[in-house]
Amino acid sequence: MIASAEVVDSEALLGMMRKRRVTRQFTSQAVPIEVLQKIVEAGRWATSGGNRYPHRFLVVRDPHRISLVRAASPGMLWEPPALIIIMLDTEQSKADLMDVDPFTASHIDVGTAAMSMLTMVQSLGLGACPVTSFSKSGVSAMLELPSNLTPEFILILGYPLAVTRVINANAPKPVTVRDLTFWEFVGLHDPKHGK
Amino acid sequence: MAKPEVVVSGLERGEKLVLTEEEALEVITFLVSSAEICLREPIYYGTLRLVDAASRLIGLIQKNTPVATEGFLRGFKEDIDTHKTLAMWDREAYYDFLRKIPFSAAKELKRVRELRGKIGGEV
Repeated sequence: MIASAEVVDSEALLGMMRKRRVTRQFTSQAVPIEVLQKIVEAGRWATSGGNRYPHRFLVVRDPHRISLVRAASPGMLWEPPALIIIMLDTEQSKADLMDVDPFTASHIDVGTAAMSMLTMVQSLGLGACPVTSFSKSGVSAMLELPSNLTPEFILILGYPLAVTRVINANAPKPVTVRDLTFWEFVGLHDPKHGK
Repeated sequence: MAKPEVVVSGLERGEKLVLTEEEALEVITFLVSSAEICLREPIYYGTLRLVDAASRLIGLIQKNTPVATEGFLRGFKEDIDTHKTLAMWDREAYYDFLRKIPFSAAKELKRVRELRGKIGGEV
């Protein structure tokens, strides 16, 4: 049992999660190092299969280096003031006999770290966007990454820029939890079937 | 009375060079990176990469103060940047946008090209 003092109010947490949207455009305000440290620490406390931690985080704040990364990252639609690259250490993964093919445990570790960071970003009043549309070889070359570290995920972040979002009345409706969830049997969307 | 001949300079005819080698290389890197990720992304994302390439190219051109097309490029880039993310949540509206934008680009190219015949001072 977790001590009650350690439990975050679940309604407040869910309310925050409901409000989370990706932020693609940022102000030019720099993100302080202390804030970035909190975000990477959230990534460190994410679950990791077998407690192995095959990933490494690279924080980039230098506008020149960010601009280089963006040139090889079509998914980075605007330039952010900071980014965190989650890399996989393929040598460590091989030594641990972990499969580093896409969609396996080590990539799930990348995802759990990324989501923890996204939640921390939001709680700090910043915005962020996950970027997976980039050339791994291109980003590796730009940042002079050693051959054992492969970039898997880029989190761009900063202080959100107020932008007008074009939303048409007949745009598709957002997906609901009901759309995604079955109870006991695939195809049954009603929780009462769980009894 | 004969209509006075309009003299147009090379700058007004869009003859100014507006990209450095480094900036051109940035666009090339973006294009080949886009080509690589098109191998594993939804097929319609290829269109997003193309219009975003246009936006990025305009951004670089703007740094070098274009003369003939400055006003057009500013509005065109703004239009792309406002609508490109529709690809993520309203594909039909995004497709409508894609169908619309070549018209204004073509019209601007035609306007600038027609100035070619109107000879004036060089850049």
